[in-house]
Formats: sequence, structure tokens, C-alpha cells
Amino acid sequence: MKREHSHRETSSVKVDSSSMTANKEEAGGFDELLVVLGYKVRSSDMADVAHKLEQLEMVLDDGISHLSDDTVHYNPSDLSGWVDSLLFDLNPTCDQVKPDQDSEYELSAIPGSAAYPPGKRTRTGSDSPTTTTTTRSMVVLDSQETGVRLVHALLACAEAVQQNNLKLADVLVKHVGLLASSQAGAMRKVATYFAEGLARRIYRIYPHDDVGLSSFSDTLQIHFYESCPYLKFAHFTANQAILESFATAEKVHVIDLGLNQGLQWPALIQALALRPGGPPDFRLTGIGSSLTGQSIQEVGWKLGQLANAVGVNFEFKSIVLNSLSDLKPEMLEIRTGSESIAVNSVFELHRLLAHPGSIDNILFTIKSIKPDIITVVEQEADHNGSVFLDRFTESLHYYSSLFDSLEGPPSQDRVMSELYLGRQILNLVACEGEDRVERHETLVQWRNRFSMGGFKPVNIGSYAYKQASMLLALYAGADGYKVEEHEGCLLLGWQTRPLIATSAWRLNRVG
Amino acid sequence: MAGGNEVNLNECKRIVPLNTWVLISNFKLAYTLLRRPDGSFNRDLAEFLDRKVPANSFPVDGVFSFDHVHTSTNLLTRIYLPAPLDPSRHGAVDLTEPLSTTDVVPVLVFFHGGSFTHSSANSAIYDTFCRRLVSICGVVVVSVDYRRSPEHRYPCAYDDGWNALKWVKSRIWLQSGKHSQVYVYLAGDSSGGNIAHNVAVRAASEGVKVLGNILLHPMFGGLERTQSEKRLDGKYFVTVQDRDWYWRAYLPEGEDRDHPACNPFGPRGQSLEGVNFPKSLVVVAGLDLVQDWQLAYVDGLKKSGHHVNLLYLKQATIGFYFLPNNDHFHCLMDELTKFVHSIDEDSQTKSSPILLTPLQHDEV
Repeated sequence: MKREHSHRETSSVKVDSSSMTANKEEAGGFDELLVVLGYKVRSSDMADVAHKLEQLEMVLDDGISHLSDDTVHYNPSDLSGWVDSLLFDLNPTCDQVKPDQDSEYELSAIPGSAAYPPGKRTRTGSDSPTTTTTTRSMVVLDSQETGVRLVHALLACAEAVQQNNLKLADVLVKHVGLLASSQAGAMRKVATYFAEGLARRIYRIYPHDDVGLSSFSDTLQIHFYESCPYLKFAHFTANQAILESFATAEKVHVIDLGLNQGLQWPALIQALALRPGGPPDFRLTGIGSSLTGQSIQEVGWKLGQLANAVGVNFEFKSIVLNSLSDLKPEMLEIRTGSESIAVNSVFELHRLLAHPGSIDNILFTIKSIKPDIITVVEQEADHNGSVFLDRFTESLHYYSSLFDSLEGPPSQDRVMSELYLGRQILNLVACEGEDRVERHETLVQWRNRFSMGGFKPVNIGSYAYKQASMLLALYAGADGYKVEEHEGCLLLGWQTRPLIATSAWRLNRVG
Repeated sequence: MAGGNEVNLNECKRIVPLNTWVLISNFKLAYTLLRRPDGSFNRDLAEFLDRKVPANSFPVDGVFSFDHVHTSTNLLTRIYLPAPLDPSRHGAVDLTEPLSTTDVVPVLVFFHGGSFTHSSANSAIYDTFCRRLVSICGVVVVSVDYRRSPEHRYPCAYDDGWNALKWVKSRIWLQSGKHSQVYVYLAGDSSGGNIAHNVAVRAASEGVKVLGNILLHPMFGGLERTQSEKRLDGKYFVTVQDRDWYWRAYLPEGEDRDHPACNPFGPRGQSLEGVNFPKSLVVVAGLDLVQDWQLAYVDGLKKSGHHVNLLYLKQATIGFYFLPNNDHFHCLMDELTKFVHSIDEDSQTKSSPILLTPLQHDEV
């Protein structure tokens, strides 16, 4: 029997009867065996990619290790794109890269990184919507092995609630309370919140609508910002993408879909101030909800003070809305043609999933103002499924990881952070319909939504990755935080569990 | 230069399927970018480039996984198990019951490769391989992370491996059989194979029972340049120069390749005669330039009186087991299955040393 030869385009001749995946091509034409290994290569491109790898090997002897320190890499899963960009970096005069609509879009360096060629950061190759199996990533920590009984009790109670067996649920929730009290640390706190959520659901004592306590939740968010790196990571990675997008633009406009205390913007203002060639005129539009109208102005004013101090021309506008869905393009007063626009959303979009049509409204509004970049940070979790028990189980594992990452010496920041997260848990577990706003979805789900909505990914690369890792080392202390790259997006997780994801988008101008 | 290399590349491309060639060449290229001539390593870029996958407690193709992190070391261990027959138990992890109270379930403690420097238990290539081990060979796999070089040199990896073995041995939920034991095999590819050997030596000296070692083109070496190194240098993805780099990164500073970690049966090696060392399955890829060292290892084990099965895959390159699109993969799985299931709990029979080569399909 002859073994398969290299010139075949398909992945294999022999069908492996005992393997888990048949050697058929996927709908998108990607080699299925490589897909499970993390690489998306179309079978029809395989020979071409091989040829380019050979070309790169020829150059290997010339000592290309300098490449790793200067070059910024993007989306390693797109092997074809990665290899193309390496070839381009080695031979910039060669017309390697296919020009696309980004060719007028010369991105210049942010401090420290090399200039990169047009078309490198956006790939239309792997935009097809991905379907994935349901993933539940469980991390068991040493301390948690004894908490297994507690987890089982919680799940049993949630199941009883799901089956509307409220008598049983009542008994079980009390049992959970007992078990929880004998636990320590993160497990106890998480269990207590989830038990409270279940109890509220059983007795129909729903948590108050969040709007009335906006200023309190702002305060909580500040403590959350201080006590752990999640928000810092979110702001940092989004800012990196925004900076790269703004490049050398003279006038820039950032639209923050949830200004809160404006914690993200001092760093961006300072980075703009330090930009080679001088800062642009910086305009910030901050959006907030009705009851924080007063404090949005204050936030804007403070940021203005900072901007003045570092020599950046600053303009601020606030928009107060009941819901982001009410945002209309004309409210933003876009100065078409003269400003580079970034739309930024940190943990805001998932709330819109509680109201049918809302997410479509905001995406439509965003599209109509033609931003240069949209940065999105969301919780990396599937907390919006239709089955209560599934949502409960997923979120139990999610918040267990999150709370575990907060463990350490007691502090006010930490206590307030736990309360901040606890309110999310209560909303997730006890509320339904339009009140349930903590409708987290995964990066894969958001990617699908954006792709369908007419956007295409802007890859976040190795420079931002490295900076984020360094930031974590500085602020986080604990070794458990991990940054991962996933097809152009960055995720921050605790141990092996990704918890938040940053992605960036722009309009798909084709068609 | 160009002419010679072109011949080599074409030869290599003929031997392996195209997608395998692309995969391993991609690693070769990436790894070259990461190794710096001064011996340092671009760890940030390595982590950026490494394709990682999460564990999944929902079964996929009959296998589910979950992670364990040792809070004292932050080292990951990923456990792979066959899916429970009862679908209502999917997605949950039970840590209170043994694997079985009647049957013996072999637990493979797997040390991933990467020349002591690259990869992790949650790297996609290793996650996929471990899943296949579970579904094809009928074992439970515990995939173990260890501290990597150059940041952490010898003996860190061995210490971490030893701690992992002790941890595995003490898990109730990994026990099986009538006598409630954890039935452990140590396994690893490349540097992982080297670690498996060293952990087995330690286990033997400390009276911890290991049923067998499975070494998949294990990473060994020595000062001398062997025939296979000279003959195959640069021809099938690997160069002597890169092997040297990794040894310099792993061995204590100032040490040479005759250090016993690199050359266990060399001039500075310790004898294993009389040691209660487990039986071994050593898999050698016929196109791996390290093979002479691996064969010397097999020889060393035999001369010390230990049982060793050698599986010599003549036309295999390194990494042949990452994709199930070739005969070598299936041959490996068959031999591995036989190896771990050949022990009977009561009669303690061992297999006798045999040299196994698959049918020479390409010679037909």
C-alpha cells in the first residue's frame, strides 16, 4: 500500500477508522486535522503555504532571529497570513500581500513596534462563522476538592428550581447554606451568592432594578478596578487597538458606550500626548444612564483637566440614555471626513441582549457612523442559554474561577469587588426577562454576531499581548493570570479558564 | 547551499503527508524565531504563538477533560477520561469515586514534549494527542506541566514530574481494580520521554510502583556525534544545532552533554542493574537524528536486565503522532494498547523484550 504523497491537496488518503474525526474537509474548506490543532489552513492553500514555508526556510540560515524581536505577529491560527507577513517582513519590496481596501490605511508605529504593511491586520480568509461544540472548562484547585459536595448540592437545588419543584428546592437551598458555612475562602463566598440567588428565585424576592443604584455600582466598579487586573486589562488592550487605529490621525473621536468613571481614558490621553509627532485633538463622547447624568459631566471635566495638564486638546460631550438601544447616529454629531472614530464598549453590549432588537439597533447605529475601529470587551462565558440549569452551572464555574483569583489578604477593595460580582450573580440567577441583564456570551458567539452584522475582525497582535503580560506581572502579583491569543483576540483568564475577551472590529466594506 | 537544501526539503516532503509537513515546518520556523543565539528564549512570543485549547467537561468523541492547578506551583495538570455512559452525568466532574472497583484502568501520566522548552499540557497538539490516547488505547491520561528551560533548568522538570507522580498516586478518583490502587504508566514524547525515564528512576528508588514506561522518541544525547546525527542533520525538521541549543538551555550552566540527564547510560551515567525499574516501550522514529542515542538507551536498559520493547518506525519523522493520517500513528496506538493492557492484576505477567517493526509498506 502506498502511503499518501505530498502533492495531494486533500489532507489524507487513508480514512482512519479509529480516529475521532473523519478526514473530510469542513464546510469552510479548512483541513480538519489542522483545525483541531489550532490552525486554519484551507486544503486548497496547503501547497501554497508549504511553498512559502520552504522559502522562509531558505532564509533561515541567514539568521532571522532578529525578526522575533522587531516583528509584530498577528493571528497565528491563520497560517497562510502569518507566513505571508513573515515573508513580507523579510522582503518588503516584494509584492507579496494582496492589496485590499485597507491599502490606503498606513498604520504607523506606536512606541516600540515596527511599522507593518497594509492588509496585514485584517484577514478576510477565516471570517466564516464558526460552529463549535459546547465547552465547559473546569478548573479544580487544591482547595476545591473538598468543596465538591457543595457544588453538587447547589446543582441539585438548581435542578429542582428548573423542574419547579420548589418544595425540594427549599430544602436543598437550606442544605447548601449549611455546607457553605463549613467551607472557606472563595468557595464559600461564591456558594453563598449562588444560594442567595436560588433562594430569591424560589421565594420570588427579586433583586432591585440596578438603575436606581447606579452610583453605588460605579463605586463598586472602582474597587473592582483596583483589586484585580480584569478592568485594567480590558482598558489596556482596547486602548492599544484604538491607538494603532488612530495612527497619525490629527483629530480623533472616542465614543465610550459606558463611561462610568472614565477609568479607561487617562492612559489613552497620556499615550496620545506622547505620540511621536505630537498629540491629536481628542474628543470624547461618554454615554451613561439617566441617573448618573450629573456625574458624567464631572468625569468629563476631570478628564479635561488631565488632558490640559499633558497638552492634549480635549473636547467632551455626554449623552444620557435609558438604554444604548436608544442611541441615534445624529446624537453623536460626527464630523464626517475630519475625524478618526473609535467606538468602545467594555461589558456593555451583553446587557442589550435582554431586550429583543436592542443589539441590532446599536450595531446599526455604530455602522452608520462608520468608525475606524470598534473595541469590545466582554465576559468570556455562555451565560445566556435558554436552559436555566445550564446557565447556573456555567456561571457557577465562571464565578468560582473569578472569586478564586481575588483571594488574598482582606481589603476593602476586595470586599467591594466581591459585592460587585455578587450583584452580577444575583441578576444572573434570580432574574428573568428584561430584568436579567447579565447575559454574557462567548467570544465565538460575539464573533458570529459581528460577522453577520457586517463587521470584520481587526487582529490584536503580539505587541499588545506582550504589553498586557507585562502589565499583569506588574499589577497582578499572582502568577495565576494568563493572557491568551485566540484568532486575533486577546483573552485574560485565571489559570486555564479564560474570563474576559477583548476583540476589535471595523466595517466590512465589501458589499 | 540552495541546491543541497532543496534536495533535503523535497525528500522530506515526499515522506510525510502535506498537512503534516506544513504543521511541523511551522513549528520548526516558529521555534527558530524563539531561540536566541545567546541562549535566551522569547517566552512571550512563544506563549502568543502557542495554540491552546480549554479543557471540556462535556465529552467530545467520547472523551472529557478538566484541569487541576497546584496552587503552590501554578502548574497545570489536565486529566482526560472516557465519558460516563450515563448522559445525565456529562459536564460534571466527580472526585469522590474510583474509576472502577472491578476493572484495572491504566492511568498514563503523560509528560508533553517540546525539548524542555516549548509547549504546555493545554497546547492544542498535546490536548488532541491525549484525547486520542484515551479513546483509542482505553486509558486515563493525566497530562502534566513542568517548569521549562531556560528559565528553569535541570532538575526542575524531574522534580515537577516526581511531584506529579506522587499526586496522581494519592488521588482516590484515579484508583481502580479490586485492590483500590492507582495503576500508573509514565509516558512522554521528546523531553517528556526523558522526564518519564528520570521519574521512573526516582520512583524505583523510593518504592513507588510504576507499571511501565512509554517513551516516544525520547530526548537523549551525548558529547559524541553519532552516525544518525551526522547522517540526518537538517534533513527531517531537526538539526544538531537546535538539539545542542536545547541541551544548553536545560542542563546546568557549564555542563556538557555527557551529563547523566542527557546521557543516562554514558560515561557519567548511573547503573540501573538491580533496580526495580519498570518495563519500557521505546518508540524510535527512523528519520529522527537522535535515534542512535535512543537505541543506546534501549541497549543500556537491556544490559541492566530490564524489559524493553523497541518499536522502530523506519520511515517516521518526529511528530508523526500529531496527526492520525499515517500508518505509524496507528502502529503506535496498537503497540501502546497492548503494552498497557498486558498486565494482569493477579498474575503480574510481564511482556518479554521483542523488536517490533511494522510492515514495510513503502517497499511494496
